[in-house]
Amino acid sequence: MADATKRETGLLKSSPVNVSKGLITIGSATVLLLIISGIFAPSSISPTSLSAMLPVASVLAIAGLGQMLVVQQGGIDLSVAGAMSLAVVIVTHVPDGNSGMLGPAVLLAIAFAIAAGIVNGLMIGGLGLNPIIATLGTNALLYGLNLAISGGRPRITTTLLASIGGGSTAGMPNAVFFALAALLLVAVFVKRTVAGRRFEVIGDNPRAARAMGLRVKLHQTSAYIWAQLLYCGAGILIAGITSQPIAYAGDTYLLPSVAVVVLGGTSLLGGRGFAIPTVIAAIFLQQLNQFVFSLGVSSAIQIIIQAAALAVGVSLYTVNWAAIWTALTRRTRAVTP
Amino acid sequence: MNNQVLTPTTVATLAMSDISKNYSGVAALTDVSVEILPGEVHAILGENGAGKSTLMNVATGTTKPDAGTITVQGTVIPALTPGLATSLGIAIVHQHPAVLPDMTVLENLQVALPSSVFAGDQGAAAAARAMLDGVDLDVHLNERVENLTVAQRHLLEIAKALAVRPALLILDEPTAPLGGAAVDLLFRRVRDVVAAGTSVVYITHRMAEVRELADRVTVLRDGRVRGTAQVAEITDHELLAMIVGRQLDSTFPPKRESTPDDAVNFRLAGFGGPGFVDFSAEAVRGEIIGIAGVVGNGQSELLRALAGLETFNGTVEIEGNALTSRDLLHRAAYMPADRHGEGLAMSLSVRENAAISALKSFKRFLFVSRRTELKTVGESLRSLSVKAPSMDAAVSSLSGGNQQKVVISRALLSDPVLLIADEPTQGVDVGARAEIYAILREASSRGIPVVIASSDAKELEGLCDQVIVMSRGQIVETLRGDDITEERIVSAAVAATTEAVSVVSGRATAPRASRFRRFIQGDYAPTALVGAVIVILGAYILTQNPAYLSTFNVTNLLTAATALGFIAMGQNIALLTGGIDLSVGPLAGFLVVVASFFINDGKPIGMVILGLVLMIVVAAVVGLVNGALIRFGKFTPIAATLTLYIALGGFALLLRPEQGGYISQGFQGFVNTTFGPIPLFFIVIVLLTAGMEFALRKRRWGWRLRAVGSNEESARRIGIGINRTVILGYVATALFVVLGAVMLTGQYGIGDPSQGSAYTLTSITAVVLGGTSLLGGRGTFVGTLLGSLLLQQVLNATVFLGLGTVFQYFFQGILILAAAILYTVGRFRRRKRALEIEGELG
Repeated sequence: MADATKRETGLLKSSPVNVSKGLITIGSATVLLLIISGIFAPSSISPTSLSAMLPVASVLAIAGLGQMLVVQQGGIDLSVAGAMSLAVVIVTHVPDGNSGMLGPAVLLAIAFAIAAGIVNGLMIGGLGLNPIIATLGTNALLYGLNLAISGGRPRITTTLLASIGGGSTAGMPNAVFFALAALLLVAVFVKRTVAGRRFEVIGDNPRAARAMGLRVKLHQTSAYIWAQLLYCGAGILIAGITSQPIAYAGDTYLLPSVAVVVLGGTSLLGGRGFAIPTVIAAIFLQQLNQFVFSLGVSSAIQIIIQAAALAVGVSLYTVNWAAIWTALTRRTRAVTP
Repeated sequence: MNNQVLTPTTVATLAMSDISKNYSGVAALTDVSVEILPGEVHAILGENGAGKSTLMNVATGTTKPDAGTITVQGTVIPALTPGLATSLGIAIVHQHPAVLPDMTVLENLQVALPSSVFAGDQGAAAAARAMLDGVDLDVHLNERVENLTVAQRHLLEIAKALAVRPALLILDEPTAPLGGAAVDLLFRRVRDVVAAGTSVVYITHRMAEVRELADRVTVLRDGRVRGTAQVAEITDHELLAMIVGRQLDSTFPPKRESTPDDAVNFRLAGFGGPGFVDFSAEAVRGEIIGIAGVVGNGQSELLRALAGLETFNGTVEIEGNALTSRDLLHRAAYMPADRHGEGLAMSLSVRENAAISALKSFKRFLFVSRRTELKTVGESLRSLSVKAPSMDAAVSSLSGGNQQKVVISRALLSDPVLLIADEPTQGVDVGARAEIYAILREASSRGIPVVIASSDAKELEGLCDQVIVMSRGQIVETLRGDDITEERIVSAAVAATTEAVSVVSGRATAPRASRFRRFIQGDYAPTALVGAVIVILGAYILTQNPAYLSTFNVTNLLTAATALGFIAMGQNIALLTGGIDLSVGPLAGFLVVVASFFINDGKPIGMVILGLVLMIVVAAVVGLVNGALIRFGKFTPIAATLTLYIALGGFALLLRPEQGGYISQGFQGFVNTTFGPIPLFFIVIVLLTAGMEFALRKRRWGWRLRAVGSNEESARRIGIGINRTVILGYVATALFVVLGAVMLTGQYGIGDPSQGSAYTLTSITAVVLGGTSLLGGRGTFVGTLLGSLLLQQVLNATVFLGLGTVFQYFFQGILILAAAILYTVGRFRRRKRALEIEGELG
């Protein structure tokens, strides 16, 4: 098909910005949702509502970016919940209200995150364990640590963390800046570094990557470590935006973290990861919650709408609707000549 | 049959007349007419791509021809399908056996063959044994097919084809992986079935085999019949003339002129690896080496070893330096034959694919410089005249020729010490072919040694300065200069009588496993292990706390294990198909909520029954939706069941925003009925487990389920309805969850929208502990039940040992990781060992 375009003489062009199908899909869905919100439930896009929605969306976005790196390599990470909860517990229980201890606590949380990532990575990338089982096991271990530290009790967050994570700058919640920083980090890593570019190729086709002599296992392992660092960041952020975060705070993010990755267009079978759409999907899901909540319908409807959004979102990528549409319209045309 | 005389009035077993088939405008077959007479061996000869496979796919109903008629035993068949072909007695042995690696030899036979074949006084095992003896395949019936060598799998495939006593048997290059003794035996068997009246179509590349076995021979070339003859009446030379002589359709660059200062820059000495032995060659600067031979005679393996993807012995020297496998992996550029599978990252862009091996040279500080990258990659793509809408176009949107040029661009940009190309022009249009030849010649003249394997002898004739012909892993001829002609190449390849390199017959391979080893490798080893752990752990806790075996605790433990057990058995079915069901937990919770509207005190019995029926209906619908999303919506199992997971949580909340609806005391009492310490439903689950285990091992349902999970493609080829099996599998999963939900009604006693979802992850844990593989195809129900028991026992143990919840989590985590590592690593090690055995043998 491309043979028709004769371009032997000139250099092929490359545009600095590429718009993916995921970005168009989730981007337009989000814009549409905001418009609908504005018409039917104006309160759901009021500044108060947005400043409540955005920090939670930011946490989900950061966790989703971590999950995306893993999914890109054909994996899945169920230890999101345990990892985020552990980070929450470490940065609240270790300082115990003393802001001076926050720094060491954050370092400790990062150390645990790296360790958990190495454990996951070695089991999955190295030993070839199934990612579902391996991360399920790690999740239990992380919760064991969590309870050993916290005893399952919540503790009030430090004032320093509350002001950094929960504060606002120029009217925008700080959490949003952290999410943007995470997005920038992931996007630059994947698109602009040698390791990141190899990472993408390995995710798309590990067999081809192996035939090129790339270190497939090493990159697959690294995905789990990067992911843990992002979960850790997301967990610390929860501790910032919540005054007294519970010891199981990460649980509610497990399934949404997978959902935003899928909605962003990254295939659960591995392949290219779409960072920006993943972040937008996080905003979409949270705004959907706000909107339905503002309408005053029960949270049951809210959850069912989430499921429907996920089903529609996935089918946009897996089902060739255009072909089905053509087939259907052709049939009707044939029937009514 | 023996008294039948071949006269013009004889009705052909299969007659195909004027068959034509086009693939997107390219003719694969043109007006092909072949008649297979009763009781004859009819050889089909021709080069790769001559149309032999397409013709046989037409004969077996896999491919529908564009034109022509198919007549079977005198009856015109307007639309032949694979199923119809089978019922008409047409059986085919494919080049790649359709076997199911996770199942045993016996199960492979049973799932693929009609049960009538096994009917007899002696039972299925004896019938199966007789089939294997018929092809001299000496493996234990309970051996996993995974542990069989390629040759053994082939014999198994032949045994399957012979078992149905076909009217027409098609053998597609059956001797390729077999050694001498096995070939002789195969020929004897072919003569036996022919004597019994079966017609045989024998596809081959080897003239010697045609001479030995066939009555008549038809030669195909470029999708046309070149001639049909009695084997006895045609000479080798005449046959060869029919095979070769394809139209030359591309132009080649001039070959290298030899000069006085020729320096050898590439040398292989005693080079050997899996699939080839003792390969020695050398080339001077500017020479292109061609590797010829019938496909599958060690050429690809040789190239892979040169690319550093296989271990080898012997030496590789480039410019006087010996290179190791590791060096080659990083410094040689390899262009694989399977461009889509191994050559390109198909969903990434042209730029990303071309640049990947040269990224380091584009680096400025920490980052890849976009400018350098665009400039260098752009230049390279231009010099290769890659035609694409832009550098950002997905490489999958390009034509085959341009895709191959992207691969070449990547190879050249990596500044390789050696260029290896396997079938470089396969699927490439004529114009691009000439360009690719010129590019390869150019690279060679710049001093990069170039090695090319091709099944197109004409291509090698035009392009190469020396051609090495391989047969069964060995060099049979090295041609240089004017000796490089298509005829010389083809005749060396098809006339070769070499035996497969130490690929031995079924009898001599891999030592017969001891009963013990078979058990360790079987599905029940994890079950036994988990059983032992349960007993040991129980004994230990008892020494610490005598109250452990109290009636109260035993009942509690077994009741909890039963609830989990039912749900886990459902999960087990999903995992056996190679999928997963995340929705089981919320489904259980939702079903309890449904029950809480019907099964209350004071409700008439009819209402209770209605409630139970409704639970079953809801579950069946959920199973159908899961299955349909996966099979028809092309959702991954995780995405599909995650959707249902969320939705069911929502529906539960919709029906019961808060806790409510007390389950009737009578019903709870029934669910919690015990005999001594043993709950009634624990007895039910034990019986059900036994029944399911029987169905899984001994019934077609179970074989099909595991076959789909083991290898979907093979399962399809042996005629299993994949969609049906998987969708019904998910329905069965959901129905087991109904039983789990009934148990939970007894435990919760109330409709609670927030309960149940935890069972998703616990059920997966239990199933994995029981030894079921998440890769599909292997697992047991007994193991699942024991896994559920062990899990509950561990949770319970922390209480009796005075340990807190912390240890519940730790134990659970350690248990699942230990099980996963033990089962997975053990399995990989075995597989690796099996591959090594195969490697040593050939």
